[in-house]
Formats: sequence, C-alpha cells, structure tokens
Amino acid sequence: MSLEWIVKIVEENWQMFLRGAGMTLLISLVGTVIGAVIGLLAGVIRTIPTPGRAAQRIMLKSANLLLTVYIEVFRGTPMIVQAVVIYYGSAMAFDFNMNVLTAAFIVVSVNTGAYMAEIVRGGILSVDKGQFEAAHAIGMTHMQMMANIVLPQVIRNILPATGNQFVINIKDTSVLNVISVSELYFLTKSVAGNNFRYFESFFVACVIYFVMTFTVTRILRYFEKRLDGSKSYEMEPAR
Amino acid sequence: MEKVIEIQQLNKSYGMNEVLKNIGFSVHHGEVVTIIGSSGSGKSTLLRCINLLEIPSGGEIHYRGRNILDGSHHIPSYRKKLGMVFQQFNLFENHNVLNNCMVGQIKVLKRSKAEAEQTARKYLKVVGMEAYINAKPKQLSGGQKQRVAIARALSMEPDVLLFDEPTSALDPEMVGEVLKVMKELAHSGLTMLIVTHEMDFAREVSDRVVFMDKGVIAEEGTPEQMFSRPKQERTREFLKRTFVEHDRA
Repeated sequence: MSLEWIVKIVEENWQMFLRGAGMTLLISLVGTVIGAVIGLLAGVIRTIPTPGRAAQRIMLKSANLLLTVYIEVFRGTPMIVQAVVIYYGSAMAFDFNMNVLTAAFIVVSVNTGAYMAEIVRGGILSVDKGQFEAAHAIGMTHMQMMANIVLPQVIRNILPATGNQFVINIKDTSVLNVISVSELYFLTKSVAGNNFRYFESFFVACVIYFVMTFTVTRILRYFEKRLDGSKSYEMEPAR
Repeated sequence: MEKVIEIQQLNKSYGMNEVLKNIGFSVHHGEVVTIIGSSGSGKSTLLRCINLLEIPSGGEIHYRGRNILDGSHHIPSYRKKLGMVFQQFNLFENHNVLNNCMVGQIKVLKRSKAEAEQTARKYLKVVGMEAYINAKPKQLSGGQKQRVAIARALSMEPDVLLFDEPTSALDPEMVGEVLKVMKELAHSGLTMLIVTHEMDFAREVSDRVVFMDKGVIAEEGTPEQMFSRPKQERTREFLKRTFVEHDRA
C-alpha cells in the first residue's frame, strides 16, 4: 500500500529530504539575490542617457551590446543546457574543476540575471517621467537619481516579478541534477532508486516543493505590504 | 540690476516643427517675470529649455554671464541653481514630505542631515505644510502637493525659481492656496519666472509680462502696459479671448 510506503520513506529518509530541500532553497535564494543585483546593474547601465563625448558614447554602446548578447543568449537557451556547458566547459577551457555548488550558484544567478535585467528595464520604464525630470531639475546626476529616486520605486514595482522568479528558481534548480548537485530532485532520485519506490518518493518531493514555494510567496507578499507602509500618517504638532 | 538669465537667439524644433524661433529675453535679479500665451505657443518649452530638460536646437543661454550651452559646463551643477515647480508636481513618490525637501540638499548640495532638516522645515512652514512632514505624496491633495513642491524647490535655495503652469492641474478650489504662497514669494524679492494662465495673478505680481505666440515673443512690457494698452493686435486678441472665457466662468 502506497500510504504506508510514503510514511516509511519519510521516516527512513527525512534527513535526505531535508538536506535536499535546504540545498534547493539555498541555491534559489542565492541565485535570485545575485540575479536581482545583476538585473539592477544591467537596468541602470541600459538606461544611461547617451553621453556627449565620443569616447564615452562608444564605451556605453559596447556595454549595451554586451548586455544585449548576454540577455538574449541566457534567455534563449535552457538552464539545463547552460549548467552542462558551464560546468564541463569551464573544466575543458580553463583546465579547472569547478566545485559543483559554485557552478550551481553561477548558473542560477547568471540565468536569473538575464530575466531580471528585462524585468528591471520594465520597472524603470514604468516609473513616471516626472520623477526623472524632478530629479534632474534639482541637480541630481544619473547615478544620484537612480540610487535615491528611481531604484527604490523600481524595487517596489518589481517585487512581485522577483518573487515569481524566486518560485521559478525553487522548481528549476531541479535541472541541476545533471551536474550532480545534491538538491531535492537529485536526492529524491537516489531515495527512489534505493527503495525502488518512485511514486512515493517523488510524491514526498512534490509536497516539499509546494510547501517551499507557497511559503516563499506568502513571505514576499508580507514584504510588499510592509514596503507600502501604513495608509495613514502622523500630523506634526504646531510649534 | 544684474542679469541672472539671458537668452539669445534660442531655437527649438522637433523635426520640421519649429516650437521656438529666435527667442531673446532676460531675467534680472529680484525680478518676477510671467510668460503668458495660448496653449502650444511654446511657453513651457521655453521654460524647460532654460533648465535643459529640453535641449535647445540652437542659440545661447547665459547664466550670470556664462554661456552654459558651450559644452564646458557641468549641467547638474547649473540646474541646482534653478528651482523648478512642475504642473504635475512630480514629488518623489518614495519619500515623505520632509525627505522630498531634504534629499536634494543632502545629495546635491552635500548639506548635513541636521542642516537639511532645518532648512526643509523652514520652507515647509513658509508654504504652510509643516504639519504634514510625515505624509507620503499619495496622501496629499493637489494643492498640498504643489505647496510641498514649492518648498522642495525653495529648500535648494536657488538663484531663480521656474514655475511651469503650477496651477493648471489643480481643482479650482485649490488654485487659491498655491497662488497665495506664490504671491508671498514674489513680494519677498525672489527671482521668479512663471508660465501661467492666471491673468489676474500675472497682472498683480509681475514686474514684467512676456506674451508668446506661435513660438516667438510677440510683446513684452509691464503688466500695466500689457493688460491695459497692448501694442500688438495679437496680444489684444489673446487677452480678449482669455477674459471673455474668464467672465463666462
């Protein structure tokens, strides 16, 4: 009977499942955070106004071209393929055996970064033009304006999309089993193989994945509310 | 009196469409100049060219004797000398009222937090918004937002204040509170350049009135001269149209 097997598998392998879930969460969290930073940087660079001097213009053009290539390549190829290419490719090209965990962080971060760059660009475009004009009129430089006025608004605007990316990462880190990262899918496969119980083992994994994504969604929703602040404000007493 | 801003042969076109043609005029220290004219006459574009939110297609803009379009000037350092009040307020949505008036002082003028707060409170008091320092822009009415925007511009202690139709986006009952603040400022000796549709206001506060029509300055003079004995036919036409609408309302 399946139910008994599920209980038995959980009882005997809970440490494995927990370790896998922990690894999955760690990789997706690190990947999402670094990816978001990459995305923000790319977004800021891609919205720098065309400078007057020719040398600066050429530098900016090349940076933009590189970013476009990066975004298109990483959005246009599957992460499972990117993992294999980066992990085995680095070993071949540089004669250097990367730690699998390092490879996992790089793959997820760089992949997420490509998506986040587009999300951030959309977020910057959605900020009212008047905000840019007011910041310029007050004498801010592009960087001052981005840091103090635009990005805080962008971060609030892209929070839902970033949460979505985090949830996608929790599920998609499962493809890293191709380079033997000991995340949840990889360890479940070995539990299933050891017990010859595929349905039961993966049913447990399924529940764990869902609990993780659901919890993360709730936590992010809470952060969104907190960032919005309270609806009322305190009046300052006259003095 | 020293010329703060002097404009020579200023042109601005979008493709084939010439919005400003050979504009020349100046603003002296302590002067209040209003620019009037019908929609599409180029008034706002002229104002936005002065602080380079629009890049002029040709001509010169001199700020205290230096041509800031010669390419050797750091544009943000020039802009901080000019305060700007927008039609759509454009308060920083991510900051509360107090921070709206502090962020420019701290980041651009490099003032200390304490000094910036003191200055911000001083000007928020001038516009009567000191009780709302903790409010976010979204929580304020249009008139309140515009008064905070004026305080934000004043907090930078600029050389000239530019107003781009500051009451055009307001509900009629809020126009008064903003004009009242602006009148006080005008009488306090600030240098102000105001684009407006409020003729009574222009007549009352201006030292000089500039009438723009189809991208050129058609006529300029004292309010008395402009409103009572305009020389140009098109000025008369414009004023007649405006005051007829005014009487009907």
